[in-house]
Amino acid sequence: MRRLLATLLGCVVLASCGVRQAPNEIVVQRFFGTCKAEYGNRTDVGNAEGECGIMTTLINEFSAQNPDVKVRVSPVAWPGYNQLAAQLASGDPPDLVTMHLSAISDYQSRKLLEPLGNELRAVGVDPNGFTAASLASVSKQGEIYGLPIDNWAPLWHINMNYFRQAGLVKDGKPILPRSPAELLAHARQFKQATGKPYLVQALANERAAYSRNLYTLLMQQGFDFFADPQRVKLQSPEVKQVLEMFRQIYVEDLTTKNQDYAAATNGFINGAGGVYLVGTWMIGDFDAESRKADRPLSNGYSVMPWPQLYGRDATFIDGHAWVMPAKERTPQQRDAIFRFLKFFADNDFEWSRTGHLPAYQAVIESERFNALPHRSQIAKISSTGAPLPSAVQRQFPVQDIIGEEMAAAITGHKSVDAALADAEHRVNDLLFHLL
Amino acid sequence: MSAAAGQLSELGHTRVQSARAGAQQSRWSHMLYVAPFLFLYVTLLVYPLFAGFWLSLHKADFFGGSRFVGLENFVRLSNDKVFIGAVGNTFYFILLTVPALAIIGLGLALALNRTTRTAAFLRGVFFSSSVLSVTIVTLLWKVVFAPDGGFLANLFEAFGKQPVAFLSDADLALPAIAITTIWWCIGLPMMLFLAALQQVPRELYEAAALDNAGRWKTLWNVTLPSIRRTFALVVIIEVVLQFQLFGQAYLMTQGGPNNASRPLVLFIFEVGFTRWDVGYAVAAGQILFGLIAIAAMAQYFVARRKEAF
Repeated sequence: MRRLLATLLGCVVLASCGVRQAPNEIVVQRFFGTCKAEYGNRTDVGNAEGECGIMTTLINEFSAQNPDVKVRVSPVAWPGYNQLAAQLASGDPPDLVTMHLSAISDYQSRKLLEPLGNELRAVGVDPNGFTAASLASVSKQGEIYGLPIDNWAPLWHINMNYFRQAGLVKDGKPILPRSPAELLAHARQFKQATGKPYLVQALANERAAYSRNLYTLLMQQGFDFFADPQRVKLQSPEVKQVLEMFRQIYVEDLTTKNQDYAAATNGFINGAGGVYLVGTWMIGDFDAESRKADRPLSNGYSVMPWPQLYGRDATFIDGHAWVMPAKERTPQQRDAIFRFLKFFADNDFEWSRTGHLPAYQAVIESERFNALPHRSQIAKISSTGAPLPSAVQRQFPVQDIIGEEMAAAITGHKSVDAALADAEHRVNDLLFHLL
Repeated sequence: MSAAAGQLSELGHTRVQSARAGAQQSRWSHMLYVAPFLFLYVTLLVYPLFAGFWLSLHKADFFGGSRFVGLENFVRLSNDKVFIGAVGNTFYFILLTVPALAIIGLGLALALNRTTRTAAFLRGVFFSSSVLSVTIVTLLWKVVFAPDGGFLANLFEAFGKQPVAFLSDADLALPAIAITTIWWCIGLPMMLFLAALQQVPRELYEAAALDNAGRWKTLWNVTLPSIRRTFALVVIIEVVLQFQLFGQAYLMTQGGPNNASRPLVLFIFEVGFTRWDVGYAVAAGQILFGLIAIAAMAQYFVARRKEAF
């Protein structure tokens, strides 16, 4: 009997044993990949490269400067929201999480995030110093729900060597199209001169890139497709002409085809085409590639915002922020969290070396930021860029649905009209049934 | 009836009654032996089953919010083109994989049912793919199917043909996932058939040899009838498993192009975890459960009827 009781007691003790946090420990959950083999415990932030390297060394440096704080880092696969939802549902969220600015509304509206404004100000981080787009994205109902660390946008990464060969360079700068018709003309001219497709795109196993390009071109037309945040309007001539332009590019083989993200990225590095449509985060890698000898990008890389194909100078932007899920914490943990956020605010320049645009106006205007390669060409996006209205919820799945239907239309699996009707119906059904 | 006989009868009746009571007591105490299992079974299977059905009648998310909507989620599903496409894809995938897994698994088992070292080595080789994770398997097969420099692309080019983009083609994406799955899952049916083949009495083969039965006649009249229950088991297991296709489609095609390779479980995952429309996802889950149950029961009854004949 005693043995039985002891066994039962043991089971109860084991069952009640979770992984408990120490009073001075904070759990930091982030995406941006893992690079432990290369960066491990390195703290030389200035020498780190790429999102993962800079993020890892920044956190290592914070830990080194704050030995009284224990930081447990939990890297997750991009974007990590399924895992976060499960953690929040089970009542065991991390202390800080990297989150896209476009996703904050979903969590804030369900009261899953804590407001940060007062405590940020108390440690010397003034939200008024954020860029306008960043401030708008983290501000909800008069409160600040995240510490923005960057803005990013879809860009044109250009192989200048091919552009020169195609006669599309003037005064050392790429000649960019100013209308959809001119884009097609440039693409044909490029293909004739180089034998390569004008665009390099990740068209397979990809959704987000399609939507980001569409949002940008609709913003340039001044078309407010989310005039009502609970209903999207996609069955319109403005949207149709964008899809038809991409479809024409596909039909005429003016783009790479059937490549996923990894294949398209490698393809551009290896000279597969003229312009790679991808975001700010690749600037560092492509710039490094252009400094190598005997490579397709050798001394021939440039990056520009999406060209103005329509009247307005506009680009869709999003960004990343640290947010704090709601849960009970010790005073030590709160103190550690805000020291961590202050450290990231102070080091936003280092983070901007990834290629992302800084979230702070002062850093964007700083000499050292503008001295970074290519940054002066894209800095204007911090003022011309615009996110979707923050009242639009579920922006990630909305982006997936629109991207999936666009892909079907562009690759010829369904007509443009059918794809737009399906996309509009699916998005509106999703938004209509929000709890 | 005499008084003595009446007493005897009464005594007998009392004894029978007390014996019955003892047996009943004994039966109730026996329940204690199965109580732990029953408790876990009810807690982990029966309760979630009913809770799931109840949740499917609500509009709900992960974070405690919910509102009763009756059968609205099921009505939505019946009008959802993506869901209907996912149901079709799931059945098509089962059609592509289950017969192939059963036939190839049986073929391999027949070929490797020997006591030689080579057969033992090859059994290990054919089973080895089953121990890999879905991430490794899909990575490997994405390289095989890649239209730029992939294994098959190089093969096509070597024969002067244009490479085919298997994973970007609406007609080929699901067959490509099926090939990947067959390669990954062939180990289990092969092992089940091997186990069954080793249970067939040697005397049957000896009798067949005495009757001068050839190799094919022995296969049709001795081997296959002897392992028909295992055949039914393999088919049922594989139908249930392949209804749950998820990882391969998620990692290789994300359900595309144009919904051509989205299975039901991927639909449920997207709706539940990405859109937080948990009630709707659970309603789709109930339909998946019903389909699996119907398919498994149908297989079971067909196998039993055949056995009765």
